[in-house]
Amino acid sequence: MALRESLPVVVPSSWLATVTRRAAALPLGVTLALAWLAVMIGAALLADWITPYSITAFDLTARLSPPIGMGGSWAHSLGTDELGRDVLSRLIMSVRMSLLIALFGTLIATTLGTSLGFLAAHFRGRVEQVVLMAIDFQASMPFMIIALSVLAFFGNSLPLFIGLMGFHSWERYARIARGLTLAANEQGYAAAVRQLGAGPGRIYGLHILPNIASTLIVSMTLTFPEIILLESGLSFLGLGVQPPLTSLGNMVGYGREYITRAPWIMLAPATVIVLTTFSISFLGDWLRDKLDPTLK
Amino acid sequence: MLLFAASRALRAAVTILFVMTFAFVVLRLSGDPALLIMSVDAPPEAIKAFRQAWGLDQPIWEQYLTYIGHAVTGDFGKSMRDGRPAIDLVMERVPATLAITLPALALKIGIGIPAGIYAALHRNSMADRLTMAASVAGFTMPSFVLALLLVLVFAVQLGWLPASGSGSLSHAILPIVTLGTGGAAIMARFTRSAMLEVLGQPYIRAASAKGVTWRRVVSSHALPNAAIPTVTIVGFMVGSLVAGAVIVESVFAWPGIGRLLVSAVANRDLAVVQAILMVIAFWMVSANLTVDLAYGWLDPRVRSATAGGH
Repeated sequence: MALRESLPVVVPSSWLATVTRRAAALPLGVTLALAWLAVMIGAALLADWITPYSITAFDLTARLSPPIGMGGSWAHSLGTDELGRDVLSRLIMSVRMSLLIALFGTLIATTLGTSLGFLAAHFRGRVEQVVLMAIDFQASMPFMIIALSVLAFFGNSLPLFIGLMGFHSWERYARIARGLTLAANEQGYAAAVRQLGAGPGRIYGLHILPNIASTLIVSMTLTFPEIILLESGLSFLGLGVQPPLTSLGNMVGYGREYITRAPWIMLAPATVIVLTTFSISFLGDWLRDKLDPTLK
Repeated sequence: MLLFAASRALRAAVTILFVMTFAFVVLRLSGDPALLIMSVDAPPEAIKAFRQAWGLDQPIWEQYLTYIGHAVTGDFGKSMRDGRPAIDLVMERVPATLAITLPALALKIGIGIPAGIYAALHRNSMADRLTMAASVAGFTMPSFVLALLLVLVFAVQLGWLPASGSGSLSHAILPIVTLGTGGAAIMARFTRSAMLEVLGQPYIRAASAKGVTWRRVVSSHALPNAAIPTVTIVGFMVGSLVAGAVIVESVFAWPGIGRLLVSAVANRDLAVVQAILMVIAFWMVSANLTVDLAYGWLDPRVRSATAGGH
């Protein structure tokens, strides 16, 4: 590594060349995982333009038509469901919904947990005790059960559901942020900035946060697939994303009814869930080795 | 040791109180229970009578105390669906859940721990790589996908086992296998990393250096030390025996507590949801308490460390 860096830098001819050169240096598994995630993110971003049909469009003449490879045609490349709705189009929209929920859920959990961790480490004393008790409580109950009871009490709506997903695993970030901040406060740099007269916002936002960011990012690669799994589990049970909206878990739950006659309705979203969570976990493991030698 | 046990028990009690309070607060936040349970066009007198009957006209702190008092005696009110006490409905489902989660736990431990130990002792071998690949797959494969794949193969294609329902032993096989294989993968991963951690310690090298046979190093130096983190994860799995089968029970129409929870949530049968919440919390907290005490027994360092501190 050091040798390579000490060699004269080959002037990259273009931005694209740099990217390809870097990509070629990655392990094959990482490249594949990145490629899969790029396809998923692309599908989510471009969903409105690339879905061949509307997700609610019925094609009653082509109900339960099989996908290509099982005797189907290119008109519906992944087949259709009971109402003749195009599986590929629904799959793309579901990817968008599931990724969106997981993204917001992860961001909320990270922000909430990190802020509480900072608060606990900054004020110590009673504030810290309250945060620690909340962490204990959260860790002592399976989140699936808490989520189900909140849904029972409040009913379901998309914003509430996304907010609820944000409460998943916030305690992980609170623990990390508190622990690392306590450690950072004992190191020279935080004290130095404080002596220079910086306020808490500046110290935590500009100095401590960048220093603990790699650990937080690695944790996000754990939370993101967990939220995908939680969301799809709840949606599968019919208690998550509600129709006419669709998510990956929703599609599996619906496809389960047709498992004997039309297994493709269920297999397509199931494959996407498994490959996506697998890719992120795989990347997370790789990132952890790269970024954070302390977290092995 | 007694002080240690007492402080753990106190913390367990506080957690239970937290869960009760959580249920109370969330229920009150979600709106007027009278309007929630009775229809919107119910006559005002009926709503008033309902409020009186449930003590909803009392000040909120008095309601809270009454609620805690009832909850402590196991009284969570009656199910809105069939009018029976909620706690009875919940308790009669517990055996069905345990009937699949206990054998699944045995599978997890019976496969996961030996596989993890083997993988750690043969690091970077083919068996190690396979175990690790299986464990990542086990973590990323949602239980409902695994369940449906098993149904597709063993019930639909081969026709060996029933796809869902209960009543005979063959009905229980697919749920047990679904729960067990996913958990065994996670168990193997934890055991492997616990073992690797221990095998890297200086005392292992010291034991080898003074001429102890490798077999003995593993059995009397490595395994007991690796047992401590492994007990944590086993305790967590025991804790989720009651709650961990929500999805699997729903897929296989197994009449356990998880399926009851899903239908209670769908019907907004709040008394039943509360009762389930408490039963699960009680079980989880007891399991955690047992693990904490087991730590004290396994690891003298924990016992002597101050009681109750973080």
